[in-house]
Amino acid sequence: MSIGRDGIAGLILLAISLVLLVKSFQLPSIPIVPVGPGFYPAIVLSFMAVASALLVVQDLLKRRAPASAGASDAPRRNYRLVVIAFAVVGAYVVLLPLLGFRVATALFVGTLQAALGRPRTAQQWMVLAAIALGTAAASYFVFERYLLVLLPRGTWTGF
Amino acid sequence: MLDLLANGLVNIAQWKYLLPLFAGTFVGVIGGSLPGVTITMTVIVVLPFTYGLDPLAGLAAMTGVYVGGSTGGLIAACLLGIPGSPASIATTFDGFPMARNGEPGRAIWLGVWASVWGGLIGAMFLVFLTGPLAAIALEFGPWEYFSLFVLAMAMVAGLSEASLLKGLISTAIGLLISMIGHDPIGSVPRFTFGSEFLGGGFPFLPVLIGVFAFAQIMTDLEKLDLPRGKVVESLAGIRLERFSHLKANREIFRQPFLLAWSTIVGLFIGILPAIGGSASSVMAYDQAKKFSKTPERFGKGHPEGIIASEASNNANVSGSLMTIMAFGIPGDAVTAVMLGAMTIHGIQSGPLFISQNPDIAYGIYAAYILAHPFMLLICVVLMPLMLRVITVRMAVLAPVVLVLCVLGAYALNNTMQSVYVLLLFGVVGYVLVKLGFPLAPLILGLILGDQIEINLVRAMMTDADPWLFLTRPISGGLLLAAALSVALAIWQHLRHQNRVAEEGPDF
Repeated sequence: MSIGRDGIAGLILLAISLVLLVKSFQLPSIPIVPVGPGFYPAIVLSFMAVASALLVVQDLLKRRAPASAGASDAPRRNYRLVVIAFAVVGAYVVLLPLLGFRVATALFVGTLQAALGRPRTAQQWMVLAAIALGTAAASYFVFERYLLVLLPRGTWTGF
Repeated sequence: MLDLLANGLVNIAQWKYLLPLFAGTFVGVIGGSLPGVTITMTVIVVLPFTYGLDPLAGLAAMTGVYVGGSTGGLIAACLLGIPGSPASIATTFDGFPMARNGEPGRAIWLGVWASVWGGLIGAMFLVFLTGPLAAIALEFGPWEYFSLFVLAMAMVAGLSEASLLKGLISTAIGLLISMIGHDPIGSVPRFTFGSEFLGGGFPFLPVLIGVFAFAQIMTDLEKLDLPRGKVVESLAGIRLERFSHLKANREIFRQPFLLAWSTIVGLFIGILPAIGGSASSVMAYDQAKKFSKTPERFGKGHPEGIIASEASNNANVSGSLMTIMAFGIPGDAVTAVMLGAMTIHGIQSGPLFISQNPDIAYGIYAAYILAHPFMLLICVVLMPLMLRVITVRMAVLAPVVLVLCVLGAYALNNTMQSVYVLLLFGVVGYVLVKLGFPLAPLILGLILGDQIEINLVRAMMTDADPWLFLTRPISGGLLLAAALSVALAIWQHLRHQNRVAEEGPDF
């Protein structure tokens, strides 16, 4: 008997629901309303705790196929790209208020494109740059001019 | 009713509505046709453009996206064998073989016309049934609402393809997210841990964008290296043969029962909360095969398969619109975005929606009906171009879609706050997908969370007796149905397990 991914997920969710359940009992009650603000959360969290516990039990009881079977058939998944993409998006969100929408967006679109499929020829690099600048310029123009959305200005660049 | 619909059609025939509707349909067809870009993503991309529009104009644009997207998916499904959007998954089963047998034009035009007819028949139900459904819901008290929402959540959790338990947990997570912030009755801060970021609660749209666009794109990136290049190369030589539209229609109407039944299947799945086009397409295909006189030809380029799948996924749209307009419960992720958009404009969804906003309600019907001829026109004009559009690489698309996601969250109230929420839930959504938790129940829980609590407390305030939830006939019936749908899911799961055990793994 060994614990799998479901079991670990269940344990984490169980812990979260129990902590919040305790929290919900500590919420103050309001004089006029017959049930306090903690009443409904307590119901949902109890339900979630029970379901998570069941998930752990179900996982522990599951008969596991030998690890080697099937693993080779599944299409190889490229987690490296996902990690890179998350990092690039994270950097974009952090840099957005610092560099301003136009600069950050052009950099973001260019970087992510290059990360997902590196251009080989000079022409491909040109296309990449055009898409990056085009996306930044077009979205800035449409949103700022027509839809009156004030996009972030950069505190570093002032642009 | 018909005069109201006529008014709606006249109303929508103004440039300020026609233009967004046409643009929405256009973007929908393109977005739907791009493999890796779902209809939900497309509607999210369109979302920030609608904030500044008048509510009906925004909703018309989204309706257009919905209709266009449901059809657009069939192009890649037929030509590449990859569904352009999940809703056209069953179209690949017969559309792709037919295209490879040298009839790509026939496959596509059969699909397009089946979409048009399926959608328009669905429109009749939408126009004539939504009002009566809402009228039933108007009789509801807080007990019935509470039970109705519980039923919606139980069905979604039960119908999700992953395990029932994970579906239920996912629902609970959604409810939990909706609790963070101030409680809807007395405004007491809950689970905020003194943080200002959590104090305002999580706005619904950034969470939805994070979960359905961001997390979805990340899952697609995992498969970016897979050899799609070969498929694209094989497309280079394809040219659509001339296929007369009259012939396509004759082929569809030769089997009126197939068209009608696929439409009804799609409509019914659409009405069920939070399951969308992919389920209706697969189920209609399955039904068509069962009823067919020539089931052995399915999967080898049989026209019936294409007609069933495409008629049902467009009818599914009308079903989803029905649920959201009559009950305020989103029929799938796309209508969830529409619901979020309505909330921004201060429109209260729910059974009062049609009687309080007849202009908007009948405007949506009219937009839905008009979107079909628009979609047909766009397909006819654009089809030669579409062969190139569907091969645009994800590496190019993903960054642009992500920028529009960020804009959609930011423009909601011009703060970075919503963008941080988007990023947070992009990560949460991705982790949940990887752990096998379905996301539709989470979104439904998030949307219905406040309403469930309000109705629960209201019921308890009216009468402290909790048994009323069971003893009031409609409320009791709805809860019984909820219990039955959970039981059914368990039973199906067990039966499936037994069958798997008997047959052994077949892959």
